[in-house]
Amino acid sequence: MRDFAFGQYYPTGSVVHRLDPRVKIILSLFYLVIIFFVVSYVTYLIVALFLLFVVLISKIPVLSVLKSVKAVIFLLVFTAVLNIFFYKEGKVIAEWGIIVITAQGIDFAVKMILRLSLLVMGSSILMFTSTPTEITDGMEYLMAPLKFVRFPVHDVAIIMSIALRFIPTLMEETDKIIMAQKARGAAFDCGKFTERVKAVVPILIPLFASSFRRAEELALALDTRCYDATPKRTRMKKLKAGWKDFIAVIIVAALGTVILLDKYYFLSFDRMIENALGWNLWGA
Amino acid sequence: MSEAIIFENVSYTYNDGEENAVKALRDVSLSVHEGEFLALVGRNGSGKSTLAKMMNGLILPDKGKVVSFGYDTQNKDTIFEVRKRVGLVFQNPDNQMVASIVEEDIAFGPENLGVKREEIIERVDFALKSVGMEEYRKSTPFKMSGGQKQRIAIAGVLAMLPKALVLDESTAMLDPKGRKEVLDVVKKLNKEEGITVVLITHYMEEALDSDRIAVMDNGKILKEGTPKDIFCDYELIDKAGLKLPTLLNIARRLKEEGVKFNREIFSEEELIEELCQLL
Repeated sequence: MRDFAFGQYYPTGSVVHRLDPRVKIILSLFYLVIIFFVVSYVTYLIVALFLLFVVLISKIPVLSVLKSVKAVIFLLVFTAVLNIFFYKEGKVIAEWGIIVITAQGIDFAVKMILRLSLLVMGSSILMFTSTPTEITDGMEYLMAPLKFVRFPVHDVAIIMSIALRFIPTLMEETDKIIMAQKARGAAFDCGKFTERVKAVVPILIPLFASSFRRAEELALALDTRCYDATPKRTRMKKLKAGWKDFIAVIIVAALGTVILLDKYYFLSFDRMIENALGWNLWGA
Repeated sequence: MSEAIIFENVSYTYNDGEENAVKALRDVSLSVHEGEFLALVGRNGSGKSTLAKMMNGLILPDKGKVVSFGYDTQNKDTIFEVRKRVGLVFQNPDNQMVASIVEEDIAFGPENLGVKREEIIERVDFALKSVGMEEYRKSTPFKMSGGQKQRIAIAGVLAMLPKALVLDESTAMLDPKGRKEVLDVVKKLNKEEGITVVLITHYMEEALDSDRIAVMDNGKILKEGTPKDIFCDYELIDKAGLKLPTLLNIARRLKEEGVKFNREIFSEEELIEELCQLL
Protein backbone atom coordinates (compact mmCIF):
# COMPACT_ATOMS: atom_id res chain seq x y z
CA MET A 1 0.00 0.00 0.00
CA ARG A 2 1.25 3.42 -0.86
CA ASP A 3 2.01 5.59 2.12
CA PHE A 4 -0.24 8.44 1.28
CA ALA A 5 -0.61 11.63 3.25
CA PHE A 6 -3.73 13.64 2.68
CA GLY A 7 -2.74 16.62 0.61
CA GLN A 8 0.42 18.29 1.82
CA TYR A 9 -0.58 18.38 5.47
CA TYR A 10 2.45 18.45 7.72
CA PRO A 11 1.32 17.81 11.29
CA THR A 12 3.36 19.51 14.03
CA GLY A 13 0.57 20.74 16.28
CA SER A 14 1.92 24.30 16.24
CA VAL A 15 -0.05 27.46 16.96
CA VAL A 16 -0.52 28.01 13.25
CA HIS A 17 -1.96 24.50 12.90
CA ARG A 18 -4.37 25.17 15.73
CA LEU A 19 -5.73 28.40 14.28
CA ASP A 20 -9.37 28.39 13.29
CA PRO A 21 -9.47 27.20 9.65
CA ARG A 22 -11.94 29.94 8.78
CA VAL A 23 -9.50 32.56 10.00
CA LYS A 24 -6.66 30.86 8.16
CA ILE A 25 -8.60 30.80 4.91
CA ILE A 26 -9.60 34.45 5.19
CA LEU A 27 -6.06 35.51 6.09
CA SER A 28 -4.65 33.49 3.19
CA LEU A 29 -7.08 35.13 0.79
CA PHE A 30 -6.20 38.54 2.18
CA TYR A 31 -2.51 37.72 1.74
CA LEU A 32 -3.09 36.67 -1.88
CA VAL A 33 -4.72 40.01 -2.63
CA ILE A 34 -2.39 42.25 -0.65
CA ILE A 35 0.71 40.79 -2.26
CA PHE A 36 -0.32 42.50 -5.49
CA PHE A 37 0.01 45.86 -3.76
CA VAL A 38 3.66 45.37 -2.93
CA VAL A 39 5.74 47.84 -4.96
CA SER A 40 9.19 48.06 -3.39
CA TYR A 41 12.01 45.61 -2.74
CA VAL A 42 12.02 46.67 0.89
CA THR A 43 8.41 45.54 1.26
CA TYR A 44 9.15 42.31 -0.59
CA LEU A 45 11.81 41.71 2.01
CA ILE A 46 9.31 42.47 4.77
CA VAL A 47 6.81 40.01 3.27
CA ALA A 48 9.53 37.37 2.91
CA LEU A 49 10.54 37.86 6.54
CA PHE A 50 6.88 37.61 7.53
CA LEU A 51 6.60 34.29 5.67
CA LEU A 52 9.77 33.03 7.29
CA PHE A 53 8.35 33.99 10.67
CA VAL A 54 5.12 32.07 9.98
CA VAL A 55 7.03 29.04 8.71
CA LEU A 56 9.27 29.04 11.77
CA ILE A 57 6.46 29.21 14.31
CA SER A 58 4.47 26.57 12.42
CA LYS A 59 7.53 24.29 12.60
CA ILE A 60 7.16 23.09 9.02
CA PRO A 61 10.50 22.62 7.24
CA VAL A 62 11.57 25.77 5.39
CA LEU A 63 12.81 23.63 2.53
CA SER A 64 9.41 22.07 1.83
CA VAL A 65 7.85 25.53 1.61
CA LEU A 66 10.57 26.63 -0.81
CA LYS A 67 9.96 23.45 -2.81
CA SER A 68 6.35 24.44 -3.38
CA VAL A 69 7.66 27.01 -5.86
CA LYS A 70 9.05 24.18 -7.95
CA ALA A 71 5.62 23.47 -9.39
CA VAL A 72 5.45 26.90 -11.01
CA ILE A 73 9.14 27.35 -11.82
CA PHE A 74 8.60 26.92 -15.54
CA LEU A 75 5.94 29.60 -15.53
CA LEU A 76 8.21 31.91 -13.54
CA VAL A 77 11.21 31.56 -15.81
CA PHE A 78 9.15 31.77 -18.98
CA THR A 79 7.34 34.99 -18.04
CA ALA A 80 10.49 36.54 -16.60
CA VAL A 81 12.42 35.94 -19.82
CA LEU A 82 9.58 37.34 -21.91
CA ASN A 83 9.44 40.44 -19.73
CA ILE A 84 13.17 41.08 -19.84
CA PHE A 85 13.33 40.82 -23.61
CA PHE A 86 10.21 42.64 -24.56
CA TYR A 87 9.96 45.44 -22.04
CA LYS A 88 11.00 48.33 -24.25
CA GLU A 89 10.70 51.46 -22.12
CA GLY A 90 13.21 52.99 -19.81
CA LYS A 91 16.97 53.04 -19.49
CA VAL A 92 18.62 50.74 -22.04
CA ILE A 93 21.30 48.45 -20.64
CA ALA A 94 22.00 46.18 -23.60
CA GLU A 95 20.82 45.93 -27.18
CA TRP A 96 21.12 43.23 -29.87
CA GLY A 97 19.03 43.97 -32.92
CA ILE A 98 15.40 43.84 -31.91
CA ILE A 99 16.20 42.60 -28.41
CA VAL A 100 16.47 45.47 -25.97
CA ILE A 101 17.11 44.98 -22.30
CA THR A 102 16.12 47.85 -20.05
CA ALA A 103 16.61 48.44 -16.36
CA GLN A 104 12.86 48.70 -15.93
CA GLY A 105 12.40 45.38 -17.72
CA ILE A 106 14.72 43.63 -15.30
CA ASP A 107 13.09 45.38 -12.38
CA PHE A 108 9.66 44.27 -13.56
CA ALA A 109 10.72 40.66 -14.17
CA VAL A 110 12.43 40.30 -10.79
CA LYS A 111 9.45 41.75 -8.97
CA MET A 112 7.12 39.40 -10.76
CA ILE A 113 9.21 36.39 -9.81
CA LEU A 114 9.24 37.60 -6.20
CA ARG A 115 5.53 38.21 -6.21
CA LEU A 116 4.57 34.82 -7.67
CA SER A 117 7.00 32.90 -5.45
CA LEU A 118 5.74 34.62 -2.31
CA LEU A 119 2.19 34.00 -3.49
CA VAL A 120 2.74 30.28 -3.96
CA MET A 121 4.72 29.87 -0.75
CA GLY A 122 2.16 31.82 1.24
CA SER A 123 -0.77 29.74 0.03
CA SER A 124 1.19 26.53 0.56
CA ILE A 125 1.41 27.36 4.25
CA LEU A 126 -2.37 27.05 4.46
CA MET A 127 -2.15 23.57 2.90
CA PHE A 128 0.76 22.55 5.11
CA THR A 129 -0.92 23.55 8.32
CA SER A 130 -4.56 22.50 7.81
CA THR A 131 -6.09 19.13 7.00
CA PRO A 132 -8.38 18.97 3.98
CA THR A 133 -11.23 18.34 6.39
CA GLU A 134 -10.49 21.56 8.23
CA ILE A 135 -10.39 23.45 4.97
CA THR A 136 -13.70 21.90 3.92
CA ASP A 137 -15.27 22.79 7.27
CA GLY A 138 -13.93 26.31 7.07
CA MET A 139 -15.25 26.74 3.55
CA GLU A 140 -18.66 25.46 4.60
CA TYR A 141 -18.88 28.08 7.32
CA LEU A 142 -17.60 30.85 5.08
CA MET A 143 -20.06 29.95 2.35
CA ALA A 144 -22.97 29.83 4.82
CA PRO A 145 -24.39 33.20 3.68
CA LEU A 146 -24.93 31.65 0.24
CA LYS A 147 -27.72 29.56 1.78
CA PHE A 148 -29.91 32.63 1.45
CA VAL A 149 -29.65 32.48 -2.31
CA ARG A 150 -30.58 28.77 -2.13
CA PHE A 151 -27.06 27.61 -2.82
CA PRO A 152 -26.76 24.05 -1.41
CA VAL A 153 -23.78 24.83 0.82
CA HIS A 154 -24.09 21.70 2.86
CA ASP A 155 -24.34 19.38 -0.13
CA VAL A 156 -21.28 20.98 -1.66
CA ALA A 157 -19.41 20.45 1.62
CA ILE A 158 -20.41 16.78 1.68
CA ILE A 159 -19.33 16.38 -1.94
CA MET A 160 -15.94 17.91 -1.15
CA SER A 161 -15.57 15.76 1.95
CA ILE A 162 -16.41 12.58 0.04
CA ALA A 163 -14.10 13.52 -2.82
CA LEU A 164 -11.22 13.99 -0.38
CA ARG A 165 -12.05 10.77 1.38
CA PHE A 166 -11.92 8.80 -1.85
CA ILE A 167 -8.60 10.14 -3.13
CA PRO A 168 -6.46 7.58 -1.28
CA THR A 169 -8.94 4.79 -2.01
CA LEU A 170 -8.86 5.50 -5.73
CA MET A 171 -5.07 5.87 -5.72
CA GLU A 172 -4.77 2.46 -4.15
CA GLU A 173 -7.14 1.09 -6.73
CA THR A 174 -5.13 2.68 -9.55
CA ASP A 175 -2.01 0.99 -8.20
CA LYS A 176 -3.78 -2.36 -8.21
CA ILE A 177 -5.06 -1.90 -11.74
CA ILE A 178 -1.61 -0.90 -12.98
CA MET A 179 -0.13 -3.99 -11.40
CA ALA A 180 -2.87 -6.19 -12.83
CA GLN A 181 -2.29 -4.78 -16.32
CA LYS A 182 1.46 -5.10 -15.94
CA ALA A 183 1.00 -8.72 -14.94
CA ARG A 184 -0.73 -9.22 -18.28
CA GLY A 185 2.16 -7.66 -20.13
CA ALA A 186 1.08 -4.04 -20.46
CA ALA A 187 4.03 -1.64 -20.80
CA PHE A 188 3.51 1.77 -19.25
CA ASP A 189 7.00 3.14 -19.02
CA CYS A 190 8.52 2.46 -22.38
CA GLY A 191 7.71 3.22 -25.98
CA LYS A 192 6.90 6.43 -27.77
CA PHE A 193 4.89 9.21 -26.17
CA THR A 194 1.73 8.30 -28.10
CA GLU A 195 2.10 4.66 -27.10
CA ARG A 196 2.41 5.63 -23.48
CA VAL A 197 -0.67 7.79 -23.65
CA LYS A 198 -2.57 4.91 -25.21
CA ALA A 199 -1.39 2.63 -22.42
CA VAL A 200 -3.29 4.79 -19.93
CA VAL A 201 -6.65 3.79 -21.41
CA PRO A 202 -6.65 0.27 -19.92
CA ILE A 203 -6.06 1.88 -16.53
CA LEU A 204 -8.77 4.49 -16.82
CA ILE A 205 -11.56 2.25 -18.03
CA PRO A 206 -11.50 -0.18 -15.08
CA LEU A 207 -10.98 2.74 -12.74
CA PHE A 208 -14.11 4.47 -14.02
CA ALA A 209 -16.10 1.25 -13.96
CA SER A 210 -15.22 0.59 -10.36
CA SER A 211 -15.81 4.21 -9.37
CA PHE A 212 -19.37 3.98 -10.63
CA ARG A 213 -19.87 0.76 -8.68
CA ARG A 214 -18.53 2.46 -5.59
CA ALA A 215 -20.76 5.46 -6.15
CA GLU A 216 -23.80 3.22 -6.28
CA GLU A 217 -22.98 1.56 -2.99
CA LEU A 218 -22.06 4.89 -1.43
CA ALA A 219 -25.45 6.28 -2.42
CA LEU A 220 -27.15 3.39 -0.62
CA ALA A 221 -24.94 3.94 2.41
CA LEU A 222 -25.89 7.65 2.48
CA ASP A 223 -29.57 6.72 2.34
CA THR A 224 -29.12 4.15 5.08
CA ARG A 225 -27.59 6.79 7.28
CA CYS A 226 -30.55 9.09 6.81
CA TYR A 227 -28.88 11.67 4.58
CA ASP A 228 -31.33 14.50 3.95
CA ALA A 229 -33.62 13.37 6.77
CA THR A 230 -34.10 16.89 8.08
CA PRO A 231 -33.20 20.37 6.92
CA LYS A 232 -32.15 21.10 10.50
CA ARG A 233 -28.97 19.11 10.27
CA THR A 234 -26.62 19.52 13.21
CA ARG A 235 -22.82 19.47 13.41
CA MET A 236 -20.65 17.63 15.88
CA LYS A 237 -17.65 19.82 15.27
CA LYS A 238 -17.78 23.40 16.34
CA LEU A 239 -15.25 25.85 15.07
CA LYS A 240 -14.23 28.36 17.69
CA ALA A 241 -12.09 31.40 17.05
CA GLY A 242 -10.05 32.41 20.08
CA TRP A 243 -7.37 34.90 21.09
CA LYS A 244 -4.80 33.09 18.89
CA ASP A 245 -6.90 33.90 15.87
CA PHE A 246 -7.30 37.48 16.99
CA ILE A 247 -3.53 37.91 17.25
CA ALA A 248 -3.04 36.29 13.83
CA VAL A 249 -5.51 38.74 12.32
CA ILE A 250 -3.68 41.68 13.91
CA ILE A 251 -0.29 40.51 12.63
CA VAL A 252 -1.54 40.05 9.09
CA ALA A 253 -3.40 43.35 9.24
CA ALA A 254 -0.15 45.03 10.28
CA LEU A 255 1.59 43.50 7.28
CA GLY A 256 -1.19 44.76 5.04
CA THR A 257 -0.89 48.25 6.52
CA VAL A 258 2.85 48.37 5.85
CA ILE A 259 2.30 47.29 2.25
CA LEU A 260 -0.43 49.86 1.64
CA LEU A 261 1.51 52.67 3.35
CA ASP A 262 4.48 51.87 1.13
CA LYS A 263 2.43 52.04 -2.02
CA TYR A 264 0.13 54.96 -1.35
CA TYR A 265 1.73 57.08 1.34
CA PHE A 266 5.52 56.76 1.00
CA LEU A 267 5.28 55.95 -2.72
CA SER A 268 7.84 53.14 -2.47
CA PHE A 269 10.51 52.76 0.19
CA ASP A 270 12.98 52.00 -2.60
CA ARG A 271 12.55 55.51 -4.06
CA MET A 272 13.14 57.05 -0.65
CA ILE A 273 16.40 55.14 -0.22
CA GLU A 274 17.53 55.97 -3.74
CA ASN A 275 16.78 59.64 -3.21
CA ALA A 276 18.57 59.67 0.11
CA LEU A 277 21.64 58.04 -1.44
CA GLY A 278 21.41 60.13 -4.59
CA TRP A 279 21.32 57.10 -6.96
CA ASN A 280 19.89 57.31 -10.44
CA LEU A 281 19.11 53.78 -11.52
CA TRP A 282 16.28 54.33 -13.95
CA GLY A 283 17.64 57.09 -16.18
CA ALA A 284 14.77 59.44 -15.54
CA MET B 1 -42.23 -12.19 20.97
CA SER B 2 -42.99 -9.10 18.96
CA GLU B 3 -41.96 -8.75 15.36
CA ALA B 4 -39.25 -6.36 14.22
CA ILE B 5 -39.59 -6.68 10.47
CA ILE B 6 -42.45 -8.36 8.65
CA PHE B 7 -42.49 -9.31 4.96
CA GLU B 8 -45.95 -10.05 3.59
CA ASN B 9 -46.06 -11.78 0.22
CA VAL B 10 -43.30 -9.63 -1.16
CA SER B 11 -42.29 -9.84 -4.82
CA TYR B 12 -39.67 -7.81 -6.61
CA THR B 13 -38.29 -7.77 -10.13
CA TYR B 14 -35.21 -5.84 -11.21
CA ASN B 15 -35.66 -3.93 -14.50
CA ASP B 16 -39.34 -4.85 -14.51
CA GLY B 17 -40.89 -4.92 -17.96
CA GLU B 18 -37.56 -4.85 -19.75
CA GLU B 19 -35.74 -7.57 -21.63
CA ASN B 20 -33.21 -8.14 -18.88
CA ALA B 21 -35.79 -8.37 -16.11
CA VAL B 22 -34.67 -10.50 -13.17
CA LYS B 23 -37.10 -11.86 -10.62
CA ALA B 24 -35.35 -11.38 -7.31
CA LEU B 25 -38.13 -12.17 -4.86
CA ARG B 26 -41.18 -14.35 -5.41
CA ASP B 27 -43.96 -14.02 -2.89
CA VAL B 28 -41.75 -14.00 0.18
CA SER B 29 -43.22 -13.94 3.65
CA LEU B 30 -40.88 -13.73 6.60
CA SER B 31 -40.83 -12.35 10.10
CA VAL B 32 -37.77 -11.14 11.93
CA HIS B 33 -38.43 -11.35 15.69
CA GLU B 34 -37.30 -8.56 17.94
CA GLY B 35 -34.00 -9.30 19.64
CA GLU B 36 -33.18 -12.41 17.66
CA PHE B 37 -30.07 -13.26 15.66
CA LEU B 38 -31.30 -14.36 12.26
CA ALA B 39 -28.95 -15.69 9.62
CA LEU B 40 -30.04 -15.43 6.01
CA VAL B 41 -28.22 -17.84 3.75
CA GLY B 42 -28.39 -18.87 0.12
CA ARG B 43 -26.31 -18.96 -3.02
CA ASN B 44 -25.45 -15.93 -5.16
CA GLY B 45 -28.52 -14.43 -6.75
CA SER B 46 -30.93 -16.13 -4.39
CA GLY B 47 -32.43 -12.78 -3.38
CA LYS B 48 -30.76 -12.30 0.01
CA SER B 49 -29.41 -8.84 -0.73
CA THR B 50 -32.69 -7.65 -2.18
CA LEU B 51 -34.44 -8.81 0.96
CA ALA B 52 -31.87 -6.95 3.08
CA LYS B 53 -32.30 -3.70 1.18
CA MET B 54 -36.06 -3.94 1.64
CA MET B 55 -35.71 -4.03 5.40
CA ASN B 56 -35.00 -0.29 5.56
CA GLY B 57 -36.77 0.75 2.41
CA LEU B 58 -33.80 1.12 0.07
CA ILE B 59 -35.81 -1.08 -2.27
CA LEU B 60 -39.59 -1.05 -2.19
CA PRO B 61 -41.61 -4.17 -3.02
CA ASP B 62 -43.47 -4.44 -6.33
CA LYS B 63 -46.10 -6.53 -4.62
CA GLY B 64 -46.83 -7.16 -0.98
CA LYS B 65 -45.51 -5.05 1.85
CA VAL B 66 -42.69 -4.71 4.32
CA VAL B 67 -43.38 -3.40 7.81
CA SER B 68 -40.37 -2.44 9.92
CA PHE B 69 -41.05 -1.66 13.57
CA GLY B 70 -44.62 -0.74 12.76
CA TYR B 71 -43.78 1.51 9.80
CA ASP B 72 -44.71 0.50 6.27
CA THR B 73 -41.56 1.09 4.21
CA GLN B 74 -43.67 2.37 1.30
CA ASN B 75 -44.84 5.35 3.30
CA LYS B 76 -42.52 8.18 2.25
CA ASP B 77 -43.31 10.29 5.31
CA THR B 78 -41.96 7.76 7.75
CA ILE B 79 -39.07 6.35 5.75
CA PHE B 80 -36.50 7.99 8.01
CA GLU B 81 -38.25 6.51 11.05
CA VAL B 82 -37.57 3.14 9.43
CA ARG B 83 -33.97 3.92 8.55
CA LYS B 84 -33.28 5.23 12.03
CA ARG B 85 -34.39 1.89 13.44
CA VAL B 86 -32.95 -0.46 10.86
CA GLY B 87 -29.28 0.07 10.06
CA LEU B 88 -27.70 -1.59 7.06
CA VAL B 89 -24.03 -2.45 6.74
CA PHE B 90 -22.75 -3.35 3.29
CA GLN B 91 -20.04 -5.53 1.87
CA ASN B 92 -17.28 -3.06 1.14
CA PRO B 93 -16.44 -0.87 4.15
CA ASP B 94 -14.56 1.59 1.91
CA ASN B 95 -17.74 2.49 0.07
CA GLN B 96 -19.70 3.34 3.20
CA MET B 97 -17.52 6.02 4.66
CA VAL B 98 -18.12 9.67 4.00
CA ALA B 99 -15.41 11.38 6.03
CA SER B 100 -11.65 11.00 6.37
CA ILE B 101 -11.68 10.99 10.15
CA VAL B 102 -13.30 8.16 12.11
CA GLU B 103 -15.33 10.28 14.54
CA GLU B 104 -16.62 12.55 11.79
CA ASP B 105 -17.76 9.54 9.81
CA ILE B 106 -19.60 8.10 12.79
CA ALA B 107 -21.21 11.45 13.57
CA PHE B 108 -22.64 11.64 10.04
CA GLY B 109 -25.81 9.66 10.85
CA PRO B 110 -26.83 11.55 14.00
CA GLU B 111 -25.93 14.85 12.31
CA ASN B 112 -28.34 14.00 9.53
CA LEU B 113 -31.03 13.31 12.10
CA GLY B 114 -30.47 16.71 13.69
CA VAL B 115 -29.37 15.32 17.03
CA LYS B 116 -27.99 17.91 19.47
CA ARG B 117 -24.22 18.38 19.50
CA GLU B 118 -23.63 17.11 23.04
CA GLU B 119 -25.68 14.00 22.32
CA ILE B 120 -23.83 13.33 19.08
CA ILE B 121 -20.58 13.23 21.02
CA GLU B 122 -22.12 10.78 23.50
CA ARG B 123 -23.40 8.61 20.68
CA VAL B 124 -20.01 8.58 18.96
CA ASP B 125 -18.45 7.50 22.26
CA PHE B 126 -21.02 4.76 22.66
CA ALA B 127 -20.65 3.53 19.07
CA LEU B 128 -16.85 3.46 19.20
CA LYS B 129 -16.90 1.65 22.51
CA SER B 130 -19.42 -0.90 21.27
CA VAL B 131 -17.16 -1.90 18.39
CA GLY B 132 -13.99 -1.66 20.50
CA MET B 133 -12.36 1.11 18.48
CA GLU B 134 -12.17 3.91 21.07
CA GLU B 135 -8.50 4.62 20.50
CA TYR B 136 -9.04 5.24 16.78
CA ARG B 137 -11.38 8.19 17.27
CA LYS B 138 -9.18 10.72 15.50
CA SER B 139 -7.47 8.38 13.03
CA THR B 140 -8.15 7.98 9.37
CA PRO B 141 -9.80 4.71 8.31
CA PHE B 142 -7.59 4.49 5.26
CA LYS B 143 -4.73 2.67 6.93
CA MET B 144 -6.89 0.25 8.88
CA SER B 145 -7.47 -3.44 8.27
CA GLY B 146 -10.69 -4.61 6.64
CA GLY B 147 -12.07 -5.83 9.95
CA GLN B 148 -11.39 -2.51 11.62
CA LYS B 149 -12.94 -0.57 8.74
CA GLN B 150 -16.04 -2.71 8.84
CA ARG B 151 -16.32 -2.15 12.61
CA ILE B 152 -16.16 1.59 11.94
CA ALA B 153 -18.94 1.15 9.39
CA ILE B 154 -21.01 -0.69 12.01
CA ALA B 155 -20.29 2.10 14.50
CA GLY B 156 -21.51 4.61 11.92
CA VAL B 157 -24.87 2.84 11.83
CA LEU B 158 -24.93 2.28 15.61
CA ALA B 159 -24.66 6.00 16.25
CA MET B 160 -28.23 6.30 14.98
CA LEU B 161 -29.20 3.96 17.85
CA PRO B 162 -30.93 1.42 15.62
CA LYS B 163 -33.08 -1.38 16.96
CA ALA B 164 -32.00 -3.74 14.21
CA LEU B 165 -28.74 -4.23 12.40
CA VAL B 166 -28.73 -5.84 8.95
CA LEU B 167 -25.36 -7.03 7.67
CA ASP B 168 -25.47 -7.55 3.94
CA GLU B 169 -22.51 -9.87 3.35
CA SER B 170 -20.48 -7.55 5.53
CA THR B 171 -17.89 -10.24 6.19
CA ALA B 172 -17.48 -11.40 2.60
CA MET B 173 -14.46 -9.21 1.82
CA LEU B 174 -12.64 -9.79 5.09
CA ASP B 175 -9.89 -12.18 6.08
CA PRO B 176 -10.67 -14.79 8.77
CA LYS B 177 -9.37 -12.52 11.53
CA GLY B 178 -11.45 -9.55 10.37
CA ARG B 179 -14.49 -11.81 10.03
CA LYS B 180 -14.13 -12.92 13.60
CA GLU B 181 -13.72 -9.34 14.84
CA VAL B 182 -16.89 -8.25 13.10
CA LEU B 183 -18.90 -11.29 14.18
CA ASP B 184 -17.82 -10.93 17.79
CA VAL B 185 -18.96 -7.31 17.78
CA VAL B 186 -22.29 -8.20 16.22
CA LYS B 187 -22.91 -11.05 18.66
CA LYS B 188 -22.07 -8.79 21.57
CA LEU B 189 -24.47 -6.12 20.33
CA ASN B 190 -27.17 -8.74 20.00
CA LYS B 191 -26.64 -10.14 23.51
CA GLU B 192 -25.80 -7.01 25.48
CA GLU B 193 -27.72 -4.26 23.72
CA GLY B 194 -30.58 -6.48 22.59
CA ILE B 195 -30.21 -5.31 19.01
CA THR B 196 -31.97 -7.49 16.47
CA VAL B 197 -29.42 -8.84 14.00
CA VAL B 198 -29.98 -10.08 10.47
CA LEU B 199 -26.77 -11.58 9.17
CA ILE B 200 -26.55 -12.32 5.48
CA THR B 201 -23.67 -14.56 4.72
CA HIS B 202 -22.00 -17.12 2.52
CA TYR B 203 -20.14 -18.68 5.40
CA MET B 204 -22.20 -21.35 7.07
CA GLU B 205 -19.85 -21.30 10.07
CA GLU B 206 -21.18 -17.82 10.82
CA ALA B 207 -24.77 -19.03 10.72
CA LEU B 208 -24.02 -21.84 13.14
CA ASP B 209 -24.33 -19.63 16.24
CA SER B 210 -27.50 -17.84 15.17
CA ASP B 211 -30.90 -18.25 16.81
CA ARG B 212 -32.59 -18.98 13.52
CA ILE B 213 -31.62 -19.53 9.91
CA ALA B 214 -33.65 -18.72 6.82
CA VAL B 215 -32.51 -20.45 3.63
CA MET B 216 -33.21 -18.70 0.35
CA ASP B 217 -33.04 -19.95 -3.19
CA ASN B 218 -34.34 -18.50 -6.42
CA GLY B 219 -36.18 -15.64 -4.75
CA LYS B 220 -38.01 -17.82 -2.25
CA ILE B 221 -37.51 -18.88 1.31
CA LEU B 222 -36.99 -22.64 1.28
CA LYS B 223 -36.95 -23.18 4.99
CA GLU B 224 -36.73 -21.38 8.31
CA GLY B 225 -35.53 -23.08 11.44
CA THR B 226 -32.90 -23.47 14.12
CA PRO B 227 -29.36 -24.18 12.94
CA LYS B 228 -29.96 -27.80 13.92
CA ASP B 229 -33.09 -28.05 11.80
CA ILE B 230 -31.32 -26.56 8.81
CA PHE B 231 -27.96 -28.23 8.93
CA CYS B 232 -29.37 -31.70 9.45
CA ASP B 233 -31.62 -31.36 6.43
CA TYR B 234 -29.08 -32.52 3.86
CA GLU B 235 -31.59 -32.51 1.05
CA LEU B 236 -32.25 -28.82 1.66
CA ILE B 237 -28.55 -28.03 1.93
CA ASP B 238 -27.90 -29.57 -1.47
CA LYS B 239 -30.94 -27.98 -3.06
CA ALA B 240 -29.95 -24.51 -1.90
CA GLY B 241 -26.36 -25.02 -2.98
CA LEU B 242 -24.99 -24.47 0.50
CA LYS B 243 -21.79 -25.81 1.93
CA LEU B 244 -22.00 -27.37 5.38
CA PRO B 245 -19.60 -26.18 8.07
CA THR B 246 -16.53 -28.46 8.00
CA LEU B 247 -17.44 -30.22 11.22
CA LEU B 248 -20.97 -31.02 10.12
CA ASN B 249 -19.70 -32.04 6.73
CA ILE B 250 -17.41 -34.62 8.32
CA ALA B 251 -20.34 -36.01 10.29
CA ARG B 252 -22.46 -36.12 7.16
CA ARG B 253 -19.86 -37.93 5.07
CA LEU B 254 -19.30 -40.45 7.87
CA LYS B 255 -23.04 -41.08 8.05
CA GLU B 256 -23.19 -41.57 4.31
CA GLU B 257 -20.35 -44.08 4.58
CA GLY B 258 -22.56 -46.07 6.92
CA VAL B 259 -21.31 -44.91 10.30
CA LYS B 260 -24.14 -44.97 12.80
CA PHE B 261 -24.25 -42.16 15.35
CA ASN B 262 -26.49 -42.27 18.41
CA ARG B 263 -27.49 -38.64 18.10
CA GLU B 264 -27.31 -35.62 15.82
CA ILE B 265 -23.79 -34.19 15.75
CA PHE B 266 -23.67 -30.46 16.25
CA SER B 267 -20.50 -29.57 18.07
CA GLU B 268 -16.88 -30.62 18.04
CA GLU B 269 -17.28 -32.32 21.43
CA GLU B 270 -20.27 -34.30 20.26
CA LEU B 271 -18.39 -35.51 17.22
CA ILE B 272 -15.34 -36.49 19.27
CA GLU B 273 -17.45 -38.32 21.85
CA GLU B 274 -19.37 -40.20 19.21
CA LEU B 275 -16.23 -41.14 17.34
CA CYS B 276 -14.57 -42.33 20.56
CA GLN B 277 -17.54 -44.55 21.31
CA LEU B 278 -17.28 -46.06 17.87
CA LEU B 279 -13.65 -46.98 18.27
